[in-house]
Amino acid sequence: MTAIETTALTKRYGDVTAVEGLDLTVESGEVFGFLGPNGAGKSTTIDLLLGFQRPTEGSATVLGHDATDESRELRARTGLLPEGYELYENLSGFDHLRSAIEIKSADDDPAALVERVGLDRSDARRPVGSYSKGMTQRLALGIALVGDPELIVLDEPSSGLDPDGIRLLREIVREEADRGATVVFSSHVLDQVERVCDRVGIMADGELVAVDNIEDLRADLGANEVVDVDVATTPDPTVVSDIDGVVDATVADGTVRAECASPEAKSAVVARIGEHTSVRDFEVTDASLESVFAQCTATAAAGPAENGAVTDGIDLDGESTTEADGTTEAGAGRESDDSDGGRSIPLLGGE
Amino acid sequence: MATNAVTVARDDFLNAARSHVVLAVVAAFVGSVALVFLAEMDLFADPYRTLYDVAQLLVLIGPILLAPLTYLAIVGDLTSGRIKFVLGLPNSRLAYFAGKVLARSAVAVAAVTASVIVGFAIALVTFANSPGVANFLLFAGASALYVLAFVSIFVAISASVRSRSRAMFAVVAVYFVLVPFWLGMTPPLTLETLFSAAGDLLGTTISESTRNFVRRLSPLMAYGGLIEPIFVEGADQYDRFAHFGGEPTAVHDRLWFFLAVLGCWTLGSLGLGFLQFRRAELG
Repeated sequence: MTAIETTALTKRYGDVTAVEGLDLTVESGEVFGFLGPNGAGKSTTIDLLLGFQRPTEGSATVLGHDATDESRELRARTGLLPEGYELYENLSGFDHLRSAIEIKSADDDPAALVERVGLDRSDARRPVGSYSKGMTQRLALGIALVGDPELIVLDEPSSGLDPDGIRLLREIVREEADRGATVVFSSHVLDQVERVCDRVGIMADGELVAVDNIEDLRADLGANEVVDVDVATTPDPTVVSDIDGVVDATVADGTVRAECASPEAKSAVVARIGEHTSVRDFEVTDASLESVFAQCTATAAAGPAENGAVTDGIDLDGESTTEADGTTEAGAGRESDDSDGGRSIPLLGGE
Repeated sequence: MATNAVTVARDDFLNAARSHVVLAVVAAFVGSVALVFLAEMDLFADPYRTLYDVAQLLVLIGPILLAPLTYLAIVGDLTSGRIKFVLGLPNSRLAYFAGKVLARSAVAVAAVTASVIVGFAIALVTFANSPGVANFLLFAGASALYVLAFVSIFVAISASVRSRSRAMFAVVAVYFVLVPFWLGMTPPLTLETLFSAAGDLLGTTISESTRNFVRRLSPLMAYGGLIEPIFVEGADQYDRFAHFGGEPTAVHDRLWFFLAVLGCWTLGSLGLGFLQFRRAELG
């Protein structure tokens, strides 16, 4: 069953296009990550999905309701943690929760909700104006959970949260998904999305430039993990290049760098090098989603992607293109940019 | 819908009350009215004479005192993002709008009621003649309708604009037109000069009855018409009231007309405000 479906959803403000021709499907029970830099159009899309704004063109259906004309009905089944919101500064956390429970005709226990989001009861009795950003965010998350909504929309939910709060947020998202809720997790923090989401959609300049599960995005764009092994004496790179899952291997300045397409290859690389020389240190850079994100958002001029396939024509540094059948054309495959200490990440798949 | 509107109104009211905004507005009304009664306790024997001066004060400062309480009612939520919290819950826009109007109206009515009660108490203790309960009740009711008209206009403005500065500018402009301009307090730009200019442009003279009709179309003149019966008994005693009394002849001198004018300003502005808000972009 489909929780969210948009068709050519477009929002323009005069000459400025905030969202352009968005075709998106989110299935029920799915944890969907909405990625993109600030200004990409994520929050505008959420506003359109909840009826806060009217689309210039196209349509959106949420939980079977038209997002514009049946906004209240869909919000009755939705929990929202918005971005850039403000609560009533002189009302307590409990006051807010009680009002949300009342408006949703729910039977939640405010104390249980407070406990679930990690707020102290004493804090929940204080005016919200005295809360830190993280406490406010926890309360807003609690409000979003009122009534066990079928759809939970979290817009930049980790904003202001400390590491414990972020961990708790992930747990709650998983619990809600296990309950059967659909979760839309919008963020520009890649790590957060990668850890909790089944699929991600990447937005840039108002367009959806990629939609897929993280592993497939990684594979399609060749955004593999890189193992850097510091060694006493540099071996020939061919000692690891024949390992299954190693896409590329180079040696420079006492470091062997191997690009791995599978998790098993990483440990095999370290073990193989250890057979030939002394391993001083090694580091794994999981730049996968980050690199996909960077590439996708940097080349947003490409057309939108369909589910399960990266957009044709995304220019991966001009060194490769994704073919219509989903295969990738091998190229030089390496971008060298060590001037700022960053990793050079070959984005080409294939051997 | 009604339940949700009450919840929105309760939250909005409590939030304002706990910030002492409500207390400040009520105190300003009560203090102003109390001062007038205390200042005139030795000037006049009849409390209803002082009610006339209180009415003049309310006409002028009532909207000003209520403006800070109302002009950000909705646009303040829009710019701060609070509206996304309230409407992220299954509140309809109508329930949200009605809740805001209810909360702000409750403060205005509470302020008027408290000030009239305090005025009555002072009059009871300090004036030579006892205050008439009916007079004070009529005064309280009419004053409540007057301030409700301005609360409605200001909240409607708040619902129709997208920035705080525009709301402030619009509220000041509306106040200027409906009060100082209409009362003729800002020569050479007054309603009377407008009549003259319109007459000159049309090449005719605007009749006095037409002028009176237009004059009565403002909330403050309708309010004046509503409370006029309070002062009729002093027509022989006070020069200021000499022209009061007599059977109304024109339509615009009748009670129902005054109520209709205030009702139109209240409901009309709310209706227009909601029509704007209903389709407003909340992003």
